[in-house]
Amino acid sequence: MKGRNLYKWLWVALGALAVGVPPLLYPSVFFIHLLERLAFLYIVIAGLNLLVGYSGQLSLGHAGFYALGAYGAALSAGRLGLPFPLALLFGAFLACGAGALVALLSLRARGPYLAMVTIAFGAVVEIAANRWTSLTGGPAGLRVDRPAWMEAGASYFYLAGALALVVTLLLANLVSSRYGRTLRAMGQSEVAAAVLGVDVRRWKMLVFGISAFLAGLGGTLLAFQSTFLNSDGFQFSVSVTFLIGVIAGGAGTLAGPLVGTVVVALLPQLFERLYDYHLMIFGAILLLTLLLMPQGIVGGAAAALRRIARAGGLGAGRAASRPAEAAGTGVVPRAAGTEVEAPVAGAAGTGAEAPAAGAAGTGAEARAAGAAASPADIPTWLVTDHAPGEVLLEARNLRMHFAGLVAVDGVDLTVRARTVHGLIGPNGSGKSTLVNMLSGVYTPSGGTILWQGQRVDGLPAHRMAQLGLTRTFQNLQLFPELTVLENVLVGFHRDCRRGFLHALLATPGMAREEAEHRRRAMELLALVGLAGAADLPAGSLPYGQQRLVEIARALALRPSLLVLDEPAAGCGPGEIEEISAVVGRLRAAGLAILVVEHHMEMIMGLCDEVTVLDFGQKIAEGSPGAIQRDPRVIEAYLGGEEVAALVGGVGS
Amino acid sequence: MEQFLQAVISGLVLGSIYALIAQGYYVTYITTNTLNFGQGDFLMLGAMVGLTLVMAGLPWWAALLAGVAAAALAGAVLERMAIRPLRHLLSVGWILSTVAVSMIVRNVALLRWGRNPMAFPSPFGSGVIRLTERVGVLPHEVFVAAASLVTMALLFLFLRRTLLGKALAAVAWNRDAASLMGINPVRMSVFAFVLSSALAGLGGVLVGPITQTSFTMGLTLGLRAFAAAIVGGLEHPGGILVGGLLIGVAEQVTAVIQPDLKDMTPFLLILLLLVVSPSGIFGRRLKEKY
Repeated sequence: MKGRNLYKWLWVALGALAVGVPPLLYPSVFFIHLLERLAFLYIVIAGLNLLVGYSGQLSLGHAGFYALGAYGAALSAGRLGLPFPLALLFGAFLACGAGALVALLSLRARGPYLAMVTIAFGAVVEIAANRWTSLTGGPAGLRVDRPAWMEAGASYFYLAGALALVVTLLLANLVSSRYGRTLRAMGQSEVAAAVLGVDVRRWKMLVFGISAFLAGLGGTLLAFQSTFLNSDGFQFSVSVTFLIGVIAGGAGTLAGPLVGTVVVALLPQLFERLYDYHLMIFGAILLLTLLLMPQGIVGGAAAALRRIARAGGLGAGRAASRPAEAAGTGVVPRAAGTEVEAPVAGAAGTGAEAPAAGAAGTGAEARAAGAAASPADIPTWLVTDHAPGEVLLEARNLRMHFAGLVAVDGVDLTVRARTVHGLIGPNGSGKSTLVNMLSGVYTPSGGTILWQGQRVDGLPAHRMAQLGLTRTFQNLQLFPELTVLENVLVGFHRDCRRGFLHALLATPGMAREEAEHRRRAMELLALVGLAGAADLPAGSLPYGQQRLVEIARALALRPSLLVLDEPAAGCGPGEIEEISAVVGRLRAAGLAILVVEHHMEMIMGLCDEVTVLDFGQKIAEGSPGAIQRDPRVIEAYLGGEEVAALVGGVGS
Repeated sequence: MEQFLQAVISGLVLGSIYALIAQGYYVTYITTNTLNFGQGDFLMLGAMVGLTLVMAGLPWWAALLAGVAAAALAGAVLERMAIRPLRHLLSVGWILSTVAVSMIVRNVALLRWGRNPMAFPSPFGSGVIRLTERVGVLPHEVFVAAASLVTMALLFLFLRRTLLGKALAAVAWNRDAASLMGINPVRMSVFAFVLSSALAGLGGVLVGPITQTSFTMGLTLGLRAFAAAIVGGLEHPGGILVGGLLIGVAEQVTAVIQPDLKDMTPFLLILLLLVVSPSGIFGRRLKEKY
């Protein structure tokens, strides 16, 4: 931890030099003006990178926030007489509020619809700036009174540069904290984030708010850069330019925005004589980056460096140093042992990129470690104090219909603490729909759901998660680009006490909390036998192991009731055995488990009680033995009375 | 009162063009889940090519065909260069790549045809058909509205009745299943973009004589058409028609009441509407399966 801090301050010192020295070397007015422009463009692009690169959202209207910041600052200083620092804050917070509002408007909008909301917002602001001339001065310009100190040499640039530096430091802290992790997770699967307790609505407003705040801050700096502010600089093309900066530099990297800013700010200067070709140059940069280097200049360079390092045998050294770092943050020693071998095996394989092969290798080793684990390995913090037989979840007359189709038709279901409850039925019988309602992913069309006696139907998924119910998904909903460990860490969302300011300032309290969660996450990975795969991207694991990651991630929530939606689908016999073993140990730790499954051996071997659905209705319920003999169940599965008689005959 | 009648008529004409261009968004969205954010610039390309040929003395119908063909060709190139290689990326990828292509197209037009708006003569002359003393309509406007509606009707028939049209819809429903049925999804994707761009090109030649023809004309028209598609619901061709007409009329009527608000109207409408119904007026909200 100490080492990392030293490293960070070294970067800050380097940044301070980069801000401080250039104006001394070239004290020309033109050059300093250009530097100022770089500084505030950088702030905008860094903010947009948080939105696009990290949280996977999109804004084609950032020029709108930029404009709000600029006019907010200029007008609050000019009309309300606010002093400069307050005007700066006013402009930035005005944009921030607008950002949260845009997020609120676009909550349910995706893809092109989200793009349209942001385009529309940008267009409304731009047109207002242009036409509402009594307020903004329009294209003719608005007079801005610059405080006298700004006229002195490079003083205004030093202010903008210092702000850019502070913004970089805070953003670096933020994205390396759980906030960055949650944002990336949300961008990869909203529903998975929600069932882990993340209020996606609030988080979208947060990230739009921060991003807009920074765009606004950039705008306020633009407003005070000269004595006139006109409305020409806020067109749609400006929003596109910001995006080009993010993509060309490297979306989702810290250094990307800096490189991207240099590209979009300096190119027009370099090609001044090719003014008529500007659109083409920018279009080509954008298109070529997307096609040839989707991770941008910084991402591409980093990947190239990794390749060179691997070819030169440096990969092994790097990998070996990793467990040491991990151990420093409190990883259990046994896990660290397997971890050393894994990445080396992957790297040494052929020297070429073979993440799948590497993952498979670790998987085998990890499973060996997992199989050796005994029931005593259940972490004590997972143990619940629910009394046996206590009713956790009760559904009464639950119904769901989609445009005329009745998927679930009046089902009653009671899940008791410390039991494994099976939910079976033929395809299309309504199992998944029922699970979606119980976990808050769908809002039921009718009926009630009680959680420990309280009405909870209609509560969203993240609220159910906060109450202690979470789930896995039939169609995996991992965060594929996060590592296995990071996936599990997102699951601790409910236990996070240190908030936004702690993350921004990277306080020791935040670090302690993070270390504790890492320790627990490694315990969970050891439990499912994947400790050796902790640092691999979750998406690179074989299918069966991805299921185990989902289970580990769900366990991080310390659920009272864990819903497993077809955990054995697509798994081999060995993996099914392993999942069964894990489920058994969880029941022993006091968890209740509702498992939807087609694999009858698993259901019959594990469950205390089984509910059978057919055509959206409950047709049987009872012990596995009773269910197996129930003629209605046999009929539902095999059809026809003759078959039932036949099967019955064979069975007895 | 007559002012408003005039506004409604102009609005319907413009709206039918918005709707025509927006059907292009529909065609590619249902087949590939992507659309061309540079649709407006493809329209401009069609208009420019058409205008050039008209000026060169070719008959109007030949110019129309050439404009459509030029845009269609650009659509094929767009699919190959900016859509197909980026399918795997998140939605950000294709949105930005089509924006990038549109910037290049716009720049090429700037270099070839210059900055100044050009007059595009109508084959129907410039005499005004008087409805009342102060309400009139250009014959070309009547032609534009009629041609747009007929084209849209033909498009629907094509998609519903012909094998090729059904194949497009099949890819939209389930890419893998369609592929198993012997439909080549890659070829369908190319076809969708060619069809979509051809509609834009047609829109360009149609609208040229009643708007200004310049290299920037696509930005305004494309964004309004996009707004129409979003208002109506991207997967609902009838909704798109209603959305286009609604936006056209709202814009022109606002211009009468408060001219400064005219350009803002489509966007305010969008923001209001998406709060109420996030998939457009007629958009079906499908439950995502988990």
